[in-house]
Amino acid sequence: MRDPQITHFHTGDGQKGGRDSMTTNLTYRYEMVNIRPGYVIVERDLFSSAVRSYFSAEPVPPKEEYREGNRIWKYSGMAQSFQFDVRDNASGEIIKFRELLGLLYYGSSPEESDIHRIGEIAHENRISVYAAITYEAVDGSRNNLSPEKIRILNKCFNERIKTPDKKILILPDLFNLYKAVSYGEIMIDFGLTSMEES
Amino acid sequence: MKLQELAAKLGLKGLTEIYDREISGVYISDMVSDVIANAKAGNILVTVQIHNNVIAAANLVDISGIVVTQGKLPTDDVLKMAQKAEIAIFTTDLNRWQVATKLYEAGIR
Repeated sequence: MRDPQITHFHTGDGQKGGRDSMTTNLTYRYEMVNIRPGYVIVERDLFSSAVRSYFSAEPVPPKEEYREGNRIWKYSGMAQSFQFDVRDNASGEIIKFRELLGLLYYGSSPEESDIHRIGEIAHENRISVYAAITYEAVDGSRNNLSPEKIRILNKCFNERIKTPDKKILILPDLFNLYKAVSYGEIMIDFGLTSMEES
Repeated sequence: MKLQELAAKLGLKGLTEIYDREISGVYISDMVSDVIANAKAGNILVTVQIHNNVIAAANLVDISGIVVTQGKLPTDDVLKMAQKAEIAIFTTDLNRWQVATKLYEAGIR
């Protein structure tokens, strides 16, 4: 881990000759830290066909079938992924993003979907739209990211961009996309092996 | 070094428009999660992956261009997505290691 002492924050505005060019020890306000590689495990209930997913950092991804109440969960698939925290270098605070399953780019979603339509309009203004897809809670509800976490995620990615005028806009899953998209459309390494073979 | 100069030095075949972008370094990976976590803005990404999620990840971290190795060719949909994101895609018959050595010889660090 880097020394948390801050000398300067990157403005992320892509301009030359400003603060960036004078900075020798460049760092960002928000920094991705505690990156943990692991797996997104997808499982199905044998009786109701309900689907849910969770993150596992175990070296060997768990595939065992197990009972939970009146449900039997059976392994359905997995993807390589990672979890991370974000450190606020101004305060030293560590913000955990354990709810985040992955990001969905608007361009990877169906053309008739709301996020695709919004993404197309945003794209005309050099804004790339992504939706933050989250894991389910144990009761099947969604663990959505708080508005503050969404803001931090946006700042974390935007302050690194060098291309002038380009912006990233990460939205919460306002569109219930988790119900409509497949795991392969979310930016996790789902089906990595089959992709390599294709 | 700009993308156009790099393409000429390495003999890369452009599959999209080649944008006027500076290369700040190289990242070699076939995992989108790894690219999101570790690649830097302005990097050129060397990969064998041709899935559209690679474009989505490259766009998120502001990759300047992608070199697809081992002669793989992305589909038209993927190329269209890259073009829209203004990310240049190149293809080469070389493997990732060969591309890495050529990038080093070209002065990219």
